[in-house]
Amino acid sequence: MVAKGKAPKRDAAISQLRRGVIEFCVLALLADEERYGFELVQKLAGEDALVTTEGTLYPLLGRLRREGTVETTWRESPAGPPRRYYRLTPAGRKSLAAFVDEWSRFRGSVDAILKIGDPQ
Amino acid sequence: MSTSTLHPVATAYLQQVRREGRDLPGDRLAELLIDLEEHLSAAIPADASEADAREVLGRLGDPREIIEAERPELIVPAERRGPREWAAIFLLLFGFIAVGVGWVVGVVLLWGSRAWTTRDKLIGTLVLPGGLLPTGLLLLLALGRAHKEICTRYGTSVAHCTHGSSSGPSTLGSIALILLALTPIVTAAYLARRAR
Repeated sequence: MVAKGKAPKRDAAISQLRRGVIEFCVLALLADEERYGFELVQKLAGEDALVTTEGTLYPLLGRLRREGTVETTWRESPAGPPRRYYRLTPAGRKSLAAFVDEWSRFRGSVDAILKIGDPQ
Repeated sequence: MSTSTLHPVATAYLQQVRREGRDLPGDRLAELLIDLEEHLSAAIPADASEADAREVLGRLGDPREIIEAERPELIVPAERRGPREWAAIFLLLFGFIAVGVGWVVGVVLLWGSRAWTTRDKLIGTLVLPGGLLPTGLLLLLALGRAHKEICTRYGTSVAHCTHGSSSGPSTLGSIALILLALTPIVTAAYLARRAR
């Protein structure tokens, strides 16, 4: 576990940051093609700064389904149970576009500030 | 849900998720289990070694953590009424006695607590700021007036007193005073009731 002191607070802040952006990473992965849940999770988990536990992505996918930014269809799989395939809805596409815009502004501002306070 | 093709370790894992999530609404838990089963059947071949299966489960994470991730948008459990909340209520009422800063401390405690909604906090702060302080001051003033007597002493014994023009608090004044005292008390009772 995390050390005592300020570390838990910092970790919580980082995990909040992660949680805030990851849903848009899901939407971005679906921008050009349909994918099924396991595939999405593998892609996201491949970037190790993004995902700590793969399992927590499924509650996120459930929320996106309920919010209507993604829709799903069931397809038979070559082995095992049928798979749920995800694709973007028009609302999801809009939400992604807004995020891409906002993210580049955000990243630019944060980088500029970090440069001012660069410890090196 | 068919778990027949699943690795036994994966089946046990899903059981654990079901146990941890037993207080989730039924459809939410069912959806989550469907997703996790799909993941497990894709990630763990039925003839995988136990070590391989456990590695997949390790990456998937602790069932409790997954259930926690499913939970936050459901209910944010508010804090229960504890000593801090009682202290806030007490200080809002009587805090003025403590060099005038007690009430301020009460307000800070009130806003720091998660037992009240923002509306409750506004009511607690704005419905008669100072708690019983205005009542206390007016009471002193009224008593002062009632006993405002002009006394002239003759030597050491007899005092000749004439009453001042004011003959004590009027009925209207008394009602106002009572209302002034009741308002913060009612507010405090409201806060005590609203804090869960």
